[in-house]
Amino acid sequence: MGEIRMSENIPEDLKYTDTHEWVKIKDEKIVVVGITDHAQKELTDIVFVELPAVGKEVKKGEEMCIVESIKSVSEIYAPVSGKITAVNKELEDAPEKINNSPYEEGWLVEIEIANKDELNSLLDADAYKKLVSK
Amino acid sequence: MPLRSPLHEIHIELGAKFTVFAGYEMPLQYTSIRDEHLNVRKNVGLFDVSHMGNVIIEGEDAARLLSLATLEDANRIEKNKGQYTAILREDGTIIDDIIFLHLPDEKYALIPNAGRSEVVTNWLNDVAEKNNLDAKAEDVSREYVILAIQGPKSRDLLRKIIDVDIENMPLFGCDYAKVSGVDSIVSRTGYTGELGFELQITPPENAKKVFHDILDVGKEFNIKPIGLGARDTLRLEKCFLLAGNEFEGGRTPLEAGLSWAINWDHDFIGKDALLKQKEKGNYERLTCLECIDKGIPRHGYAVEKNGKIVGRVSSGNISPCLNKGIALAYVKPEYREVGSILEISVRDKKIRAKVVKPPFVSKDWAKENS
Repeated sequence: MGEIRMSENIPEDLKYTDTHEWVKIKDEKIVVVGITDHAQKELTDIVFVELPAVGKEVKKGEEMCIVESIKSVSEIYAPVSGKITAVNKELEDAPEKINNSPYEEGWLVEIEIANKDELNSLLDADAYKKLVSK
Repeated sequence: MPLRSPLHEIHIELGAKFTVFAGYEMPLQYTSIRDEHLNVRKNVGLFDVSHMGNVIIEGEDAARLLSLATLEDANRIEKNKGQYTAILREDGTIIDDIIFLHLPDEKYALIPNAGRSEVVTNWLNDVAEKNNLDAKAEDVSREYVILAIQGPKSRDLLRKIIDVDIENMPLFGCDYAKVSGVDSIVSRTGYTGELGFELQITPPENAKKVFHDILDVGKEFNIKPIGLGARDTLRLEKCFLLAGNEFEGGRTPLEAGLSWAINWDHDFIGKDALLKQKEKGNYERLTCLECIDKGIPRHGYAVEKNGKIVGRVSSGNISPCLNKGIALAYVKPEYREVGSILEISVRDKKIRAKVVKPPFVSKDWAKENS
């Protein structure tokens, strides 16, 4: 872990967690969440995704979904607290979308934020870049 | 610090990600486990399996020692032939599964599993001593590199750089050979279920040239270097056993589905225990489960029927060829009939799985899916 390759993609306009989730602020209330390019490269060969139920309340830092690659089972943590308002059902039949398009087609869930202050605790692109190049 | 293969630097240059397995830091994958897996099924792959052990047995009574210590009557195995078998404790449980090769000069070369060569060597020398046999086992694992060339195009590739006839080498055949001008033991063996060969090369330094040459010459056959990730999924699709998983907690060959490997017409350590177990019956047996629902079975997951635990997964993953979850599981005898539907407990869900006959992936898979 920690090796950064030149090709690694860390979009400037997203927020990040130190557990390798990304957060896109969609509007006033809703954020979109997925796992970073770095994370998908570390996992490789993603073959199964277990998504939460729509409507489920999640707490920041708690397990929210499961992403399985051939080699391992990984827990994905909620980057903010709130309610799940949408999940990417397409991943159930095509989990490899996370490998192929981690920031677009490979999104995992949308969360209605319970507490906007939590967004301030997320990392910006520069801070995340530093984290993964350690 | 884990041990490393003498080819470690080459793996770094090839961009490998590493994993520690049985005390060895070995390549997990170079690009993608799935791509590497499919390349072995369709073309050819090169594996560094130097974590596997090397034990040489010499002496007048070498065959008698192997016969006493394994499921096979070694006197039956001619020179230039090898055998897959297992070494048992007195209670019938498996110490290790091995391949032994009867080399042209009367020596036997044994390949124990990673991290097991010392245990196997000591056991064999104890058996020799207790039975006054003129045979000595020597652990030479650190002096050898083992390379595996596996896949339907492996023979076409190897033919170009080897100086012995491999056209007519039968399964488990073996010989001394020069590969890329380097001294090697070659055998038609492997852990993928494909046509394939393994090379044992000493001193380890010599293997670097061979490794590079195979990748070079292999270009026209679309060769890829393959890591332990694909090695595990390849063997799982063929229902080959992984010592750390399938022998965990002490399993007999009857339980592990190795009845076919037991030569009952000779005396061997553990035979009495096996006869007793066979007579008594009612033992758990390794069972092949193919998932019906989405989900991936993993080592340790419970196997259930009507809410009751009837078995446990010893190895599980997704099959890259079938795109389904597959598992080897120890299941109680009354629940393992082919066609039966069982449930595997995956976290808080239950997924349905069907008992199938081994292997999960037939030898014609690549032809049917080209």
